[in-house]
Amino acid sequence: MVSDRALRAGVAVVALAGVAVAGYLTYVHYQPEALICTAGGGCETVQDSSYAELLGIPVALLGLLAYVAVLMLVAWDSELARTLAAAIALSAVGFAVYLITLQAFVIDAWCVWCLVNDLVIVPLLAVLTVWRVRRTSA
Amino acid sequence: MPPKPRKPPPRKQSGNRNLLIAAGAAAAVVLVLVGASLLLRGGDSSGGGGGSGGVTGIEEAATLLDGIPQDRAVLGAPKAKVTLIQFEDLQCPICRRYQAEGFPGVVESYVRPGKVKLRMVGMAFIGPDSEKALLYTLAAGEQGKLWQFQDALYANQGEENSGWVTDALLEKIATGLGLDWAKLKKDADSAVTLQQANSMADEANQKQIQGTPAFYVQVGDQQPYQVNPSSFDPSAFASILDDALSS
Repeated sequence: MVSDRALRAGVAVVALAGVAVAGYLTYVHYQPEALICTAGGGCETVQDSSYAELLGIPVALLGLLAYVAVLMLVAWDSELARTLAAAIALSAVGFAVYLITLQAFVIDAWCVWCLVNDLVIVPLLAVLTVWRVRRTSA
Repeated sequence: MPPKPRKPPPRKQSGNRNLLIAAGAAAAVVLVLVGASLLLRGGDSSGGGGGSGGVTGIEEAATLLDGIPQDRAVLGAPKAKVTLIQFEDLQCPICRRYQAEGFPGVVESYVRPGKVKLRMVGMAFIGPDSEKALLYTLAAGEQGKLWQFQDALYANQGEENSGWVTDALLEKIATGLGLDWAKLKKDADSAVTLQQANSMADEANQKQIQGTPAFYVQVGDQQPYQVNPSSFDPSAFASILDDALSS
């Protein structure tokens, strides 16, 4: 049986990885010259698309804020905090599905760092946070 | 009186209830986010002339570069002490951003006064549209308007590898700039232009350029050195070029 302490540490590590990726994507959004076009193109197309912002706020910044919120909730650690962290992570899963769909069918380009976030970090965070909530029912 | 046995906490129900609350809240948040994204998404920053709509940027290119000497891929006074070398792919959206945000300031403050000249090194590594765009841009150099053509092409840049570099778009830009379209077409297919493109690719390979835009500065005949402007703001280029001019 995995202890809650281990799960808590896991959530913190995954959220920190999310901070790193979302932080980088936020940085290149505001400092586009940090991004360069490479063979085949792609990343800059996604970053440059009209879906990269929501009400003027970069989607990457929303992700960054969500990861920071999860980190704060891990530090707080209460039943409410665990529930809120799971809610944020599950929201992220839903939104990640939407973003992947956009890349595949609307923007028609792939952003590697976005995929790392959407396919690895977000699902992992969801599994760990949900596991923590369910653990209270064990 | 013996103490009443305590009721065990309803942990199972509590965990499941919390999970349901989290899932419900998440569903609501996703609905709001996706709805907002679809309805209120930010302005589309793609240039997207793409040959189907109107062609823009021709007058602006002509005005910006009016009266500045150019010799094929070199823009500015031949005797200028400093050369800013631009490695670029005409399909690259970041290059287009530089063209819109940094290039006009560099031209007005450094190229027009004769302090700096620019040399374009065109690359064609994003896809087929890159190659066609580059060959036609180099061909425009045969009629002394490579830089106007390049600037106008960026203003009409479409989605990468979408086939946006159409003959219709190229012809509209060419005629808008007063170029001889038939000659341009012929020159774009010539061995001379291909040779120029190949030698630019060789230079990029030699310098191991991994992405665009990339910038080098050359002072006189000295070895060019790479520079990394902190932004595309003209002030970022000013500090780089002022340093080179004072060296």
